[in-house]
Amino acid sequence: MNAQNGSDDEFERLALPLFDSLYNFARWLTHDAAEAEDLVQEVYVKALKGFSSFESGTDFRAWVFRILRNTFLTSRTGLRARLTVPLELEDQETVAVTWETPESLVVASGTRQTIQDALERLPLSYREVILLCEVEEMKYQQISEILAVPIGTVMSRLSRARKILREMLAGERTARSTPAGK
Amino acid sequence: MMNCAECQKRIAAYVDAELPPAEMEAVRSHAQTCAGCASSALASLERKLAIRRAGLRYSAPPELRARVFGLCRAKAEVIDRKPVMRSARAWLPQWSIAVAASMLVAAGLFVVANLRQQQRQSLGEFVDLHVATLASANPVEVLSSDRHTVKPWFQGRIPFTFDLPELQGSPFTLVGGRATYFHQEPGAHLVFAYQRHLISTFIFRDTSQLGLPAPPAATREASFNLRSWTQGGLRYVVIGDANAGAIRQLSEQLQHAQ
Repeated sequence: MNAQNGSDDEFERLALPLFDSLYNFARWLTHDAAEAEDLVQEVYVKALKGFSSFESGTDFRAWVFRILRNTFLTSRTGLRARLTVPLELEDQETVAVTWETPESLVVASGTRQTIQDALERLPLSYREVILLCEVEEMKYQQISEILAVPIGTVMSRLSRARKILREMLAGERTARSTPAGK
Repeated sequence: MMNCAECQKRIAAYVDAELPPAEMEAVRSHAQTCAGCASSALASLERKLAIRRAGLRYSAPPELRARVFGLCRAKAEVIDRKPVMRSARAWLPQWSIAVAASMLVAAGLFVVANLRQQQRQSLGEFVDLHVATLASANPVEVLSSDRHTVKPWFQGRIPFTFDLPELQGSPFTLVGGRATYFHQEPGAHLVFAYQRHLISTFIFRDTSQLGLPAPPAATREASFNLRSWTQGGLRYVVIGDANAGAIRQLSEQLQHAQ
């Protein structure tokens, strides 16, 4: 076995277990099955080619997710999504104080479907941060590497994403409890 | 001692396990004596879990999995084989090819016989795995009769996904599952109950590393009935001491679920 083949074995060992997570994340980013398939395949091709530049001992998961996100952002859907980012809300370094009122239970009590619908409607920069934190259970440091933003920005986006999600679900609940025509 | 305002400010980072150890402890201590902050922390945690459940939404199609996994494997194989082929051609004179061919036939017969022996051993090892697991104190790591609990449990634990059949109205129930390894390959081990018998189903990526006979295989090993087949790039092995008909019926239900 030569050194290159050894590194391919290492690549398989590191990259293949991430396949399901990468696909799930790609679907949430693209909103489209075919596009997500192309994206995931392209990510594996890029990661395989660029594996020699990956620094052993650093965070491989963050490295691959960063490739996925960057690849997505240069796609047509990604470029379009970036244009719709609410810029005035971007990069606020201060972290909002989040008093956990019973209102936050709105999210926990939402059905899986209503939460999914709300996540779909979240602007890209909030959707990705909340998925990386809650679904992929990544640390702020990893998210900061993937999004290429400071940790403070990760925290403020996360806080805002949670707030928007809560408001969406609260609005949904109010709409459902209000009789039609009133 | 932390007060409520300080605690509330840290709750989001606390449930994300992102506070420094001393602050994690301070929030924990405060929440033990403050019902309001404790319920806030619980609400945050429930919100987190609800989003996680909702976010685990999409499963990759098997064709994409096969394509991506094949891509990674093909790269490794091409790199491994190329230099060998080049060097072999460089020194072999033309006349030696006929001699080599006849030697290959003889060697091939030996390899085939040897391979069959290895494949029988692999099937035997699955029987060992089945017996050893059922004899252990905790035969399953995820205990549930609900396929919607067992399948997601494997996410992140094995490098593929699979579908489980709807067992309502069938004589089988799903007891649970565990992650397992066979010849260094990670896989799923599911345990089904049939009357008073327990039946194991092993699912692995279909690689030559497993050393199993070409599917479909229905056989008996050490009085256990066993069926094995390949589907969607995955290798399934169903083993149990139930009768051959029950093993076949469960195998068919698993095949139809994919």
